[in-house]
Amino acid sequence: MAVADIVARCGNLFEDLSFSAVRDWKAAAPGRKAVGYMPIYVPRELIHAAGMLPVGIFGGGDQLEVIQGDAYYQSYICRIPRSTIELGLTGRLDLLDGMLFPSICDVIRNLSGMWQILFKDKYVRYFDVPQNYQDSVGGAFYVNELRVLRDELAKLAGRAVSDDDLRKSIAVYNDNRRAIDELYDYRAKKPWQAPTAEVYLVLRAGLVLPVEEHSKLVREYLAAADAEPRARRDNARVVLTGAFCEQPPLNLIKSIEMAGCYIVDDDFMLCFRWLLGDVPLEGDPLENLSKAFLHHSASTASKYDVHKEDKGKPLVQSVKHYGAEGVIFAAPSFCDPALLERPMLQGVLKKHGIPYTAFKYAENTGQMAPIREQAGTFADSIKLWSAV
Amino acid sequence: MIHTIGIDIGSGAVKTTLFRSDGSSIEWLAKRCERIRRRDPMELARQGFDEVLEEARLAPADIAYTATTGEGENVKFATGHFYSMTTHARGGVYLVPEARAVCDIGALNGRAIYIDERGKVLSYKMTSQCASGSGQFLENIARYLGVAVEEIGALSKTSKNPEKVSSICAVLAETDVINMVSRGIATQDILKGIHLSMASRLAKLLKVTGITKGMVLLTGGLALDAGLLAALQEELVTEKITGLTARNHPDSIYAGAIGAALWGAFRHGRLAELQSRVAA
Repeated sequence: MAVADIVARCGNLFEDLSFSAVRDWKAAAPGRKAVGYMPIYVPRELIHAAGMLPVGIFGGGDQLEVIQGDAYYQSYICRIPRSTIELGLTGRLDLLDGMLFPSICDVIRNLSGMWQILFKDKYVRYFDVPQNYQDSVGGAFYVNELRVLRDELAKLAGRAVSDDDLRKSIAVYNDNRRAIDELYDYRAKKPWQAPTAEVYLVLRAGLVLPVEEHSKLVREYLAAADAEPRARRDNARVVLTGAFCEQPPLNLIKSIEMAGCYIVDDDFMLCFRWLLGDVPLEGDPLENLSKAFLHHSASTASKYDVHKEDKGKPLVQSVKHYGAEGVIFAAPSFCDPALLERPMLQGVLKKHGIPYTAFKYAENTGQMAPIREQAGTFADSIKLWSAV
Repeated sequence: MIHTIGIDIGSGAVKTTLFRSDGSSIEWLAKRCERIRRRDPMELARQGFDEVLEEARLAPADIAYTATTGEGENVKFATGHFYSMTTHARGGVYLVPEARAVCDIGALNGRAIYIDERGKVLSYKMTSQCASGSGQFLENIARYLGVAVEEIGALSKTSKNPEKVSSICAVLAETDVINMVSRGIATQDILKGIHLSMASRLAKLLKVTGITKGMVLLTGGLALDAGLLAALQEELVTEKITGLTARNHPDSIYAGAIGAALWGAFRHGRLAELQSRVAA
């Protein structure tokens, strides 16, 4: 398939707020169930092992008008909870049999409570994750959380979830993470061949497609993008950070690229890249998922840093690993985790002599001229005035 | 020795320049300026590219770097893109080395850019979305008054009793002008009033950038409007930034395209340096 066709398919999935792909998947066999999840991370392996489809709900984007959602949150709060409520109250999420709200911030925690009140016929769970990384403390807590979740999902699915079921699902998700790692490595190597606006759509498709299909799609895109002759531009290489929950509008990503930046790493959909490397298949699968979370998972503002001196290390490492020349902090307005962490990260970058710029957005931001100008002048300053 | 091309796609015209540089010397080989007049700016960019090559008797393969600026982000054959203030700053110090600020007045907006002797932007301020400080507005008014665009500057300089118009909003300013015409105000006084209103905006923008002394170079499509230049000199006195002297240059309209071509040459050298380091 040509790259344009793959991107068009992903674009259609991205724009489809009635989630037709999920409806089609459910309709393909009787009794199929789907479970939604919000950013940043849930162990999708458990949903998959129960034979259900994990569906990422990452807000309503810039095509959804929020009317009812504004009655549930103050207007200054970030937009993702309001647009998610709008999706729910307008029946667009009726196809979901359950919903998981991971531990990100107070706003999303409150959303889980609202969901329980509003949608009493659905399975709703606030999924707590450890902030202590010792196996005997945070690990014990987390394994128990995973066990409870597995049992509840099994009940929802109407079937038992064995350790072997879970191991098979872990293997499938290991493969998906490998495919996505290949995509990120390829983009960093040849960002002109795999523009982030396309990479983003390919990733977004993974929120609604079965994981096996998504892994295949990612690899198809990689092959098609590599075969497409595309001109290389003299752009600045940047890491984009802070966009791990409410997503920026696609036009914002396009604007940053158009302004002269190649995005070589980002944190758009951390759920796909949360666990670093393969989760072992031997042994207790819940223990393995727990150890992966505690010791081999991504760093982000919602995750507690045990040692103060570790703050910002992964960001600096990402800059070095992907050969970036600067960092763009792009966070949603009112995103407490991202905006409170930003000054600390900027302090670390300053110490390492890594240039940065920062702005805020909402998922329905429409005015791109100021962002283009800011990203463009940032790219110019890197290209013309940074030390070689 | 390398050749580079700069393409500045503005709201009203596409400007193209071709330079030869060898590290120590820079030679300007060719230039083109084409009014857009409802044509496709991307096609005009290609046309300008082809024409400067032809004039310099070069082939596309001889060009080491093609840089765009202005609205040229989507030019497919470009090597890289630079932002307008970056290129006008560099073009400004190329045209007038002692310039320490550039006032870029284009068809749709204006901006004041405070620069150093290398053409590095130190600070800048631009007009907001309203178009009353722009070339398009002035062109519209000239059309209403039945004056050719080329005559505006000379007519404005003959004014004895300028009538100031709104400097906030193009719609209000146009209403002001209609009222002036019906009140029988002389054409030159209306034009001078508009120039003073635009210059007042520019002087305020310059003040906000923090520059207090030195040469200000007018660039962009309105740079050669003698009436606007005279009005800006008056407004600099009104705003009490008398340490600034405003001037223009016959090639002011090319400042963006010049800056793009020269920054392109710089980037070409830097990329070669980076590559040789990687190879080593």
